[in-house]
Amino acid sequence: MLLTGLLAGVELGLNRVLAMDSTALPRLASLSGRVIAVECIAPPVQLFILPSASGLQLAAQWAGDADCHLRAPAASLLRLATSKDKTSILHSPEVSLDGDSAALLALAGILQDLELDWEYELARWLGPVGSQLLSGHLRSRVSWTSQTLDSLRLNLADYLSEESRSLVGQREADARFAELDQLKLSLDRLDARIERLAQRHKPTA
Amino acid sequence: MNDPRNSNDSEPTTHFGFQSVPESQKAEKVAEVFHSVAAKYDLMNDVLSGGMHRLWKRFTIELSGVRAGKRVLDIAGGTGDLTRKFSSLVGPTGEVVLADINESMLRVGRDRLLDKGVAGNVKFVQADAEKLPFPDNHFDVVTIAFGLRNVTHKEDAIRSMLRVLKPGGRLLILEFSKPSSPLLSKFYDAYSFKFMPLAGKLITNDAESYRYLAESIRMHPDQNTLKAMMVEAGFERVTYHNMTGGIVALHRGIKP
Repeated sequence: MLLTGLLAGVELGLNRVLAMDSTALPRLASLSGRVIAVECIAPPVQLFILPSASGLQLAAQWAGDADCHLRAPAASLLRLATSKDKTSILHSPEVSLDGDSAALLALAGILQDLELDWEYELARWLGPVGSQLLSGHLRSRVSWTSQTLDSLRLNLADYLSEESRSLVGQREADARFAELDQLKLSLDRLDARIERLAQRHKPTA
Repeated sequence: MNDPRNSNDSEPTTHFGFQSVPESQKAEKVAEVFHSVAAKYDLMNDVLSGGMHRLWKRFTIELSGVRAGKRVLDIAGGTGDLTRKFSSLVGPTGEVVLADINESMLRVGRDRLLDKGVAGNVKFVQADAEKLPFPDNHFDVVTIAFGLRNVTHKEDAIRSMLRVLKPGGRLLILEFSKPSSPLLSKFYDAYSFKFMPLAGKLITNDAESYRYLAESIRMHPDQNTLKAMMVEAGFERVTYHNMTGGIVALHRGIKP
């Protein structure tokens, strides 16, 4: 009952988020009637996802058959949820997928393509003027923070490589790596040459 | 066990809460209760169960295993909590019938579902659970949530549900039951007979209806008795799941 309550809360929040994207619910409608079972091997937890035009329904158990059954450890499920290249993760040996994988990939695609209209949701609570003021302020803060972090990163890199000489600079490192590559190539050539000379001078039986 | 309906002397009686009333009067008295509480039924459910009724109903949906295109009957569907979920699960190719004997509850349920945009695959039928007006072998799933204890002849209602189910179809009965722990039972008694009528008085100005609710729960068959009744009626693979310490139980049976 605890898991059921937890899933009910997650479902409510998830469906509110899905409603903020104008295309998510119509796309989910095409998956209506499908049952996707996700089984986490370690820790052992099973979850059923039922998409419909009104959002996602999450269930701790489902008495019917699932169209698609995904089994994987928690780490792989997390990578699957966050990675763009899902195919390579699905082909890894610890992941098993039975049934209609298209339903799972379509659902993952919908969740990954979410573009949430936060300003619309804010406007519902604060009104158009309040939401405009708040979102304008938030945007400028986000932009300032991003610029400050970029600047800090560049300054730190410059200080460590150029002033304190604690680290090697990027260009200097690239030049050294190129020299190392050249050296490795020369060594390979020398090795091949010695091998060839050794073959030539080997006494015939 | 003596069946009161076999008595020849006078009209057989049945229980209405802790009172004994003639069988012909029970449906009318239950109807009065639900006419009185219909308008604030959902609010009272949330207040009295602390929102737990939503989780009990969720679990019922999970055990139904309903798929797209299936036909579902939600008896005593009241304000349509289960019907709404079933409507989304069966999709446009399926059908959900919300049946309730009480006109007020049915009207509140219909208005509420229409307000939430649930339409197209839902039908509303005023029907008595003992004499369901549907053909034999018609539904894939039949549910009755918090309704069976108000039915006068429970055995007849269960047989009627069996008749309308398709072979392989499942019946789900969600109902108050007997708490498994004596300590919980004592707390639950105090809660039911003191807090519930008081909350009814404060919110709906009707303490009597909620006193009946508490009494009718005590008069309802416990888990094993209800299971035996389902087996007796002809259901197979009958199981029950206790929820919240047995305060509520979900019985499931399959039509052979």
